[in-house]
Amino acid sequence: MKGVPDERPRSLPPEEGSPLQWWDEFEAAARRSLETRLRYSFIRTYKPVLDDATYRAFDSMESYRRWCEQSLPDWLGYGRV
Amino acid sequence: MAAFDYPQALEIRGALARHGVRYLFIGKAGAILLGFPDTTQDADLFVDRSAENGRALAAALRELGFVLTEDHARDLERGKDFVQLKNGPFDVDIVFAPDGIERFEDAWQRRVEVEGFPVCHIDDIIASKAAANRVKDQESLPRLRSFREYWLRQRRT
Repeated sequence: MKGVPDERPRSLPPEEGSPLQWWDEFEAAARRSLETRLRYSFIRTYKPVLDDATYRAFDSMESYRRWCEQSLPDWLGYGRV
Repeated sequence: MAAFDYPQALEIRGALARHGVRYLFIGKAGAILLGFPDTTQDADLFVDRSAENGRALAAALRELGFVLTEDHARDLERGKDFVQLKNGPFDVDIVFAPDGIERFEDAWQRRVEVEGFPVCHIDDIIASKAAANRVKDQESLPRLRSFREYWLRQRRT
């Protein structure tokens, strides 16, 4: 609730400036087994272009980054800032 | 193709160990192994670049069910900077020269073992994402840095 301090007990006091919601998520994740964490974390979604080839290799990271910027839709977020 | 899951993680750990591959989980997959709650699609492996290690990696990937031609295996043996594999039971990115990390050996010395999985230290994961400086990295870095504080404090307690 807005304006009401969140005083839920936590095993570690939240870092100053870190959103409490993140800290709660870290604590919740720490209570899960590795198996559960992996099940929750790895998801399969289709990424256009990126998923349309079964194999790619790049001589340099720079050429890979350039390929991402030139070939992938911007909204995938692979372009450099 | 199914998403990477725990049984596959155990398989990859076992196959890479049997073939003596020197590698580290890096990227968001590495952070997730450390406890970072987030989602991703593929496993990112930072592999020590040597012909011998590349040959061992190709053998391990074939054992896992990846379809590697002789050309693909040569790319791994040569240690091309970045190899993207989507021709096996799960997606995996092989990185021989991640942005922001000078030498594999440095990251190896700082590695963290999570239930037998060799994982880059959170500082290396963050350094790599900060150096890559992609839009998606910039979006995830504040939360990753916050997780770093949590993770370091948890290790101290």
